[in-house]
Parts: sequence; C-alpha cells; structure tokens
Amino acid sequence: MSDNTFQPEDSLKLINNMINTAKNKLADDGFYIIFWGWLITICAITHYITLKLGVEWGQWLWAILPPAGGIFSFVYGYFEHKTKKVKTYLDTYLKYLWGAFIIGMFIILIFLPVHGIKQTYFSLMILYGLATFITGGMLNFKPLVIGSLFSFSFAVLSVFLSDIDQLLCISGALICSYIIPGHLLRISFKSQHV
Amino acid sequence: MFKDLDPILHSQLRLAVVSLLISVKEAEFTYLKEKTNATAGNLSVQIQKLKEAGYIDIEKKFKDNYPQTICRITKQGIKAFEDYVKNLKNYLNP
Repeated sequence: MSDNTFQPEDSLKLINNMINTAKNKLADDGFYIIFWGWLITICAITHYITLKLGVEWGQWLWAILPPAGGIFSFVYGYFEHKTKKVKTYLDTYLKYLWGAFIIGMFIILIFLPVHGIKQTYFSLMILYGLATFITGGMLNFKPLVIGSLFSFSFAVLSVFLSDIDQLLCISGALICSYIIPGHLLRISFKSQHV
Repeated sequence: MFKDLDPILHSQLRLAVVSLLISVKEAEFTYLKEKTNATAGNLSVQIQKLKEAGYIDIEKKFKDNYPQTICRITKQGIKAFEDYVKNLKNYLNP
C-alpha cells in the first residue's frame, strides 16, 4: 500500500472495504448447532422407540450422550479458540447467549423433572427456540429465525400430547431449528470462506 | 490541504488497520497482514506508529511456542477514527 497518491476520496472507499472485509463473513460455521441438534435428536428418537417397544434403556442415553457431547464440545472449542486469528464482538455476544442457554438448560433439567417431564420438555423447546431465534438475528441468518419459530410451535403442540409423544416434538423442534438451519449455515459459511 | 484530517490516520495502511480493528474485538498481526496485503515489515512499522499515538494496544505473547501479536483499538483510537470520518465527510461535502 502506498501513501503517495492517497486522497481523501480514497479514504472512504478504503474504510468501507476494510469494514466489509471484517464484517460480511458469517461468524459461525454452525458446528455446535449441527452437533447438538443431531445428538439430542438421536437421544429423543431412540428414547421414543425404546419406550414404544417397552424397553427401559433408552432413557440412559440422556445420561451418557449429552455429557460426552459436552466434553467433546469443550475440547473442540479449546482447539478452535487457539486457531482463531480474529475475535469479533459477535463472537463474544454469542458466547454469552449460549452460556446463558447452557445455564438455563441445567436449571430446567435439575429442578423441573420432579414437577413433571411434560413441563421439562416444553421449557427445553422454548429455550431451544429462544437461543436459535437470537442467534439467527445476530448472524442475520433467516433460516435459524424461521427454524426457531418451529421450535416454539412444537413447544405449544407438546402441551396437548402425552409424555412419550413429546419426544417426537423435541425431535421435530431440533430438526427444524437446529439440524436444517445448522447445515444451511455451514454451507453458507463454507461458500464465504473458500 | 487536508489540515483537518488526522495525519496518523491519513495513511493508507494505518487507516486500513484501524478500519479493520474498529469492526472486531481483537485481531492477530497475521490477520491484519492477510487482509491489508501489506508486508510484515511495513505493517510492523505502521502498527507501532498507531500504538505510539495511543490508537491501538498491542499485546505480544506466545502461542504453541510461536510469537503472537494481538492488536486492539483503544477508546482514543475509536474517537480519532470517528473524528477522521467526520472531517472526511466535511471535506468531501463542504
């Protein structure tokens, strides 16, 4: 870059170019959304099938897969953090949002099941919808916002269904608000970062 | 001629660095080098000038045994950038 012919008119153009360079790319590759979407959907569908077949072990998946997923996410996040060359404010906001989501989920999972599993599933779906709605807005990524509306709708639908059928609502909510938008997010991310 | 424009910022590479840093929380030296297409030597000199002016903070540390330089814009840098843009607009649309 040379300053010899740098005019005030060039300054605005340069500022615009640089700000667009830093801002226009999607900040999230959707890894966590896809990973947790599939993991919880697998738990919910397997639990549903085992309950329908009259076997008990399906519920134990909840005690094994999510904690294992938590450890994997932590390790993945550690290495991802190490390779990042730039940190945006959006990264920080998303970290706080999903941090609050995890805290909220733990509170729901610890205190609500004693009052009934129905309220637990309902609250989790509201929480899923809330987190993806805000994330979609922050990333300006409409499929996540639209997907979150499905999560809210499945939460409302679940109120009228049995405990077992609520597992299908959870799967539906995750497929619509996590898995599909997550994969679309990943495709958009990759196309912007070639 | 450009007396209202901050001479520290009215330089192509320094303005590019500040414009990048204004959009992010912090950035590594290698990121700035990649986005501005500057040489490491020139970029080093220019970010040092921005640091001396109090416009950016530079943190040097080690990552996996390799030196790592992280740059962040300061409040003074944000103010200077805002003033620069304001003066630029006045200059272009008197």
